Amino acid sequence: MSKNRTHVIGKSGWRRTLGAAVVSAIYFFPVYYILMTAFKTRPDALAMPIKFLFTPTMDNFYSVFVRADIQGGGGTDSGFSHYFFNSLFIGGTSVTLALIMGTAAAYGFSRFPLRGNDTYLFIILTTRMLPPIIAIIPIFVLFRVFGLSGSYTGIIALYTAFNLPFSIWMAKSFFDDLDRDIEDAARMDGSSEWRVFRKICLPQVYGGLAATFVFAVILTWNEFLFALMLTGTETRTVPVAIARTIGGQVGVDWGLMSAIETLFIIPVVLVTFVLQNQLLRGVTFGTIRK
Amino acid sequence: MQLTISDVFKRFGSIEALRGVNFDAEPGEFFALLGPSGAGKTTLLRIIAGIEQADRGRVLLDGRDVADIPVRARDTAMVFQTFALYPHLSTFENLAYPLREARIGSNEVKKRVGEIAEMLRLSHALSRKPGTLSGGEQQRCAIGRALIRRPRLLLLDEPLTNLDAKLRHDTRAEFKRLHRELRDTTIIYATPDQLEALSMGRRIGVLREGRIVQIGAPQRLYTEPLDEFVASLVGDPPINLIAATLADVGGNRTLQLPFVDIDAAPWEATLSQYPSGARFMVGVRPQAIAPAADAGEAAPGPEFPARVFLTEPLGDVTILNIVAGADQRLKMVLPQERAYGIAKDASFDCTLRNDEICLFAQETGMAIRRNWASPTT
Repeated sequence: MSKNRTHVIGKSGWRRTLGAAVVSAIYFFPVYYILMTAFKTRPDALAMPIKFLFTPTMDNFYSVFVRADIQGGGGTDSGFSHYFFNSLFIGGTSVTLALIMGTAAAYGFSRFPLRGNDTYLFIILTTRMLPPIIAIIPIFVLFRVFGLSGSYTGIIALYTAFNLPFSIWMAKSFFDDLDRDIEDAARMDGSSEWRVFRKICLPQVYGGLAATFVFAVILTWNEFLFALMLTGTETRTVPVAIARTIGGQVGVDWGLMSAIETLFIIPVVLVTFVLQNQLLRGVTFGTIRK
Repeated sequence: MQLTISDVFKRFGSIEALRGVNFDAEPGEFFALLGPSGAGKTTLLRIIAGIEQADRGRVLLDGRDVADIPVRARDTAMVFQTFALYPHLSTFENLAYPLREARIGSNEVKKRVGEIAEMLRLSHALSRKPGTLSGGEQQRCAIGRALIRRPRLLLLDEPLTNLDAKLRHDTRAEFKRLHRELRDTTIIYATPDQLEALSMGRRIGVLREGRIVQIGAPQRLYTEPLDEFVASLVGDPPINLIAATLADVGGNRTLQLPFVDIDAAPWEATLSQYPSGARFMVGVRPQAIAPAADAGEAAPGPEFPARVFLTEPLGDVTILNIVAGADQRLKMVLPQERAYGIAKDASFDCTLRNDEICLFAQETGMAIRRNWASPTT
């Protein structure tokens, strides 16, 4: 193990550094373009060739939240603060629920296997094999029958269910990688099965769970189709709201859209940043032990 | 604590891990379980600990069947081969874990962790995580965690296997000291290393393919192995095993080795049942072969010519790999000063010390008892 080796920055030489910079720039360009457009006036945003030098404006961010009245004078709430709340609330709740249930289920699958364990695991994953566009039809009917359309309960339950397979599979792989002797040691040290899980196994997979959390958050945060079909005015999430800004008499307001997207990226960046250390450990789980 | 293992069987799928194991360990005894990997040592320890269930047979602690006693109530601790430290907890919390699970107050926890860290020279590392400890520190931490509850039965599963040679040597002495201090604690020590078993165990049980083949004091296993397996497991360098045939030479029963004949009289009480021409294996310790010139006052055994083909100087002694007669390869050990100047292709006469030769039936591998052999304990 090379955990004590220090990495000298720049050791790889300027050629490689330059190569990495170019590739990163290509990857980052769409994001950069959106960030730039968010600060442009409408004429600047539509200008060809692309304007890299322009006078930045905050107008787009203002109009995310306040819709200008056509009659002039003041404006009305665009509802976007509510949509942002919806995205955070629905995404956060469903991913957290999925992670809690998924972790418990994964521990069960890993430590107390059933007859036909693998079959169950496969079946769990099949729901994710269908393209959402196909799954949406029966789900839509189901929502109508149970009166879940447009409710928080409905969309949170749906997202939880859709995040569960991923959470279970990820968490199970983390639990499978743990050294069983350590659990036996805990049993000998007087731990009950619950304490073995809570005090010994769970803390060892926090990193992996953090990684799972971030991936699930990103998937849910960006989800469009289900949200479009199954949320109502009250429960509308940001991706749906963005889509609704397109069209109308004025065409696409690229500046406004970019401003929304810029705001939309922030929570994901924050979550990823906060969990960064855990994330690195989690993603490389099992590959650097011993 | 007295431990009794009675007719324990364990099977994993098609593999029979334990096939009727029986032994007792007295209260406070240091009992070594010696056997190659795969012999069933770990399985046996895990069954004693209660982590694994025996298919058949009983484990008794102080005469009480423990089948229904949960792991944590058995007053037993174990040191795992991998140490199995809790990687997310500091050394302090690792040591404190059994106490915390027993709901012992935090002042008492602090005191006892302090004591055990002092005893095992871990005081400097209490705030560190196991991943940052050296091999020796990890091992002492694992031992500390096992001892802190003051268990009456301590199970050690190859605790030295993951350490380097120097550390292993130091720790062997440490274990003996520890055992003296923990007078009432029965220790079961599993190891594949005969040196560890011989140097530490008061008694040794040799495990082979899920069965105990011999139990005895270290010296006994060395001088009177019950079969070829024990003979070749115990002793370093390993015993020389040479095919031999029983023959009648002028009215004297003789064992004919490929390079020398030896008198069969010492085994005659048993050998009388065997006809001439019966095949045996003769076991000769490398320490029991000496240059004929040195035999001198000691009862001289049969002599034979030998040629050196390889020398392994170890500092204090030198292992000579010799060819006896036409092509019988043997190992012999000489003190360094005696081996000085002996090089490859050196030729000289050697002698076998007759009273240190073991004899085994070739078919069964079982030892042929000497006439004067005392009953096995």
